[in-house]
Amino acid sequence: MGVFRIEEADRPHMWRLLIMWVILSAIGIVAVLQISYPPYDQSIQGQDQAGTLRLLTVIATPVFVAVVIIIAYSAIYFRRKTTELVDGPPMLGNTPVQIAWVTISATVVLFLAIVGITTLASESVAQAVGAPGRSIGTGGQTGGGGTGEENKEISVQVIAQQWYFTYRYPDYGGVETTHLYLPVNHPIELHVTSLDIIHSFWAYELGVKADANPGVDNIFHVTPQKTGSFRVRCSELCGLWHGSMTDSEGQVVNQADFNTWIAQQQQDFAGIAKAVPSYAPYYFPLPLTKGS
Amino acid sequence: MLRRVSFVAAGVVIVVIALVAFVGLFMLPRPGPLEGTTTLHLETVAAVGSALEWPRPNDPHPDWVGYLPTTTWHVPANSTIQVQIDQEDGASGLRNPFWGKVFGTEGGNMHVTFFDDKGTPQESDMTSIDPTQAAHTFAIPDLGVFVPLLAVNPNAPANSTNVITFSFKTKGPGRYRWQCFVPCGAKTIFGNGGPMQTIGYMGGTLIVT
Repeated sequence: MGVFRIEEADRPHMWRLLIMWVILSAIGIVAVLQISYPPYDQSIQGQDQAGTLRLLTVIATPVFVAVVIIIAYSAIYFRRKTTELVDGPPMLGNTPVQIAWVTISATVVLFLAIVGITTLASESVAQAVGAPGRSIGTGGQTGGGGTGEENKEISVQVIAQQWYFTYRYPDYGGVETTHLYLPVNHPIELHVTSLDIIHSFWAYELGVKADANPGVDNIFHVTPQKTGSFRVRCSELCGLWHGSMTDSEGQVVNQADFNTWIAQQQQDFAGIAKAVPSYAPYYFPLPLTKGS
Repeated sequence: MLRRVSFVAAGVVIVVIALVAFVGLFMLPRPGPLEGTTTLHLETVAAVGSALEWPRPNDPHPDWVGYLPTTTWHVPANSTIQVQIDQEDGASGLRNPFWGKVFGTEGGNMHVTFFDDKGTPQESDMTSIDPTQAAHTFAIPDLGVFVPLLAVNPNAPANSTNVITFSFKTKGPGRYRWQCFVPCGAKTIFGNGGPMQTIGYMGGTLIVT
């Protein structure tokens, strides 16, 4: 191990790099703080994800700036000026530098670990993935719908199939719909399943992405906090029309509009209700292979 | 040396076979699109090689189900499109019975001429059908159009056809995929293979201009 020492001739380079790094990092941090990060803030869970992404970007910015300016500076000032091939001065290690980078790296990693643990322990994430949902009903006997109880979770079943998502609302008589409507500021319990092969339900602006597997009831919780539309798409390669398995007509609406909409859906659904099986956690259509 | 040449020759033969197969299966000309019309006259069949109206005997998969005469349709934007489907296939049944209901057509219904259990011709306006009696569906999800196609009754006379008519409105210009929601790919896993996974049979594009 050598002794940490900067040659007199190198000190101007060090100061230039340091000053450039501080200035560009400050500019970079201010710039990245201006960015609106996906999946934005339409749900509490999405807002948490956007906040984490913003934090990671802010931390990564000085590192990124340091790497880029060192490469650029070295390419400009330390490039070989003669055609002869000569080795550079030997570098035999530098204890202070090694201690510094290990300490800084460890500090950043530990800080992110603390942030991660704190986030996982937060109420919104616990509500999203950890809290046990109430049991869902079967046989079309679930809920009366429209009880108006505040903060009572509404169950919504997401049914993936090649190549579209449909939705069932067990709290409203098991009505099935072609679009996903959710009331604002109301906790939602999503039950994601599939009728055929593996899909993935991704409600982008809500910050929800959940596997949709046949025979599996995959539960996810979300609380929309802003009205407006959101996009739904499949994020698991699922065949010929996977790229078209999208819907841009998902809506977060106020409670009154939701009540009006679900009432209309129930009315429309009445014509086919008898033919649709009772609500169940999942459906497993048979036969596996269609006949000849 | 001889062994090496043999390997190279075998590799060349395999590549040539793969290229010929690729061109033959996927790049040969398909039937052209139905051009800029406000009427679509289509045929759904159990086997494209033996259709009553637009048979494709030289199709690479003559025993596959399909829409005929083509699966690429050009229609004008913001227009009412009249659709007539001559449906010749038997029942496969819907995986999701929900699609037994008619969505997105003008009036929310369709007009169907069909044969009852006695083989007698009937006709009726319908807003839904028995999901187990669906042969195929006509669905353009991005336009909200979902129409189940009633299967030909097994008691109907030979070569009978159900005629389903309805209309829907197009939105602005764009390319809209359409597909069948009945898992009608016989002998494939979940019925969603073969013609369900190949453009030119049970799915295609509605080009709105």
